[in-house]
Amino acid sequence: MHDLHEKHARSTVTAVELNAVTRLFGANPALVRADVRVSPGEVLVLRGPNGAGKTTVLRIMATALSPTYGHGSVLGFDLVRERDAIRRHTDLMSDRTRLYEDLSAAENLRFWCRLLGVDGADIQAALDRVGLLEVAGERVRGFSQGMRQRVAVARTLLRRPQILLLDEPYTGLDAEAHHAVDDLIREASRDGRAVVVATHHAMQRGLADRVLFMDGGRIVRQGEP
Amino acid sequence: MSLLRHAATIAAKDVRAEIRAKHAIATLLPFAATLLVSFGFAFGPGRDVLLRTAPGLLWMAVLFAAVIAARRAYQIESEDGALEGLLLAPIDKAAVFLGKAAAVALQLLMLVACALVLVVVLFDLTVRDPLVLAAAFGLGAVGLAAVGGLFGVLAEAARTREALFPTLVLPLVTPVLVAGVRATDLAATGRTDEAIVWLGLLVAFDVVFVSLGVLVFGFLMED
Repeated sequence: MHDLHEKHARSTVTAVELNAVTRLFGANPALVRADVRVSPGEVLVLRGPNGAGKTTVLRIMATALSPTYGHGSVLGFDLVRERDAIRRHTDLMSDRTRLYEDLSAAENLRFWCRLLGVDGADIQAALDRVGLLEVAGERVRGFSQGMRQRVAVARTLLRRPQILLLDEPYTGLDAEAHHAVDDLIREASRDGRAVVVATHHAMQRGLADRVLFMDGGRIVRQGEP
Repeated sequence: MSLLRHAATIAAKDVRAEIRAKHAIATLLPFAATLLVSFGFAFGPGRDVLLRTAPGLLWMAVLFAAVIAARRAYQIESEDGALEGLLLAPIDKAAVFLGKAAAVALQLLMLVACALVLVVVLFDLTVRDPLVLAAAFGLGAVGLAAVGGLFGVLAEAARTREALFPTLVLPLVTPVLVAGVRATDLAATGRTDEAIVWLGLLVAFDVVFVSLGVLVFGFLMED
């Protein structure tokens, strides 16, 4: 945590910063000169059609992709040179839930807690919060997409990352799972953690602070939610 | 120490998933049994021919098993995006390589144990030096698992992964196959002194590919 405190002094105003970031796949631009700033506690929403570049923005912030041009930082850490530090404090959640089909929900969470350096003592409580305590010991193979997504929400609840990145988090969710995602965003924001959400879905009123509209890999305008 | 702890966590997860799914074992055991039984019949009742071919057949089964098990080890990471989760986890990526390789090696040794029983029963194989035999299969399993663990992640990123993986792996593991067959043959006939050379080759292969995996795996995983 020492590194975080040290950097935090520089980043109390900006949790995430992308400066003129471009990402090419081969010769094709997925993102073009994107400037994005997210403050601690802010909930930023990315909107746009398929292929607009929303997922690329999130994956660059999570350090799953490197910028081809431009630079940026997360919590004051450089996106390219300090990837490990960023990964300690950032969580990217998408409709691909990173669960192993032949492990139970609790075993999946225990595995990820061990790798992520998170105390696994609260796994049962986290599964209870997302309404899956009764099926904690059942294999994920039999779970619906909504149930899988709720297990992923439980994992993020356990981790409590400083930066929460959500890629189409509402896809295929039932009402209960939808609420679990909303609660996750609300709690993160209340705790002063930054949240970036890429979604086609309408979000609950008051949940988002700001919206960036994207098209063709470019940020075309900024607006109120 | 955290490197080994994370590697053990990944290996335990893979072994647990495989025990439940029985994917590799359900594919490999029938293959090994069919290979050994059909060649047993094809070569006829002549014991000498069977004994000469047994080490080669055993290692063919192990090689096939290594390709299947290593592919499966990365398939379970790709099914629901877990490989990206491992990439973004704040751990030394060498732990992923070591964990995957350890789990594959364990599966191979389980298959070897079953196949050996078959060979002893079907071919009436007598092993004069079981220690050399155990060393040959132990070292061979580590070498095959290391190559599979290293190239499995590369193949996973490719669109033609089913064809690419064996194309990358099979030529590289030829030294393991040659040394394994020779050491097994020499263990069966009790010529321990000669077997040492081939065991040395297996040790060298393991050192090279385990070290290579630890050093470069992180680069292979990154964008």
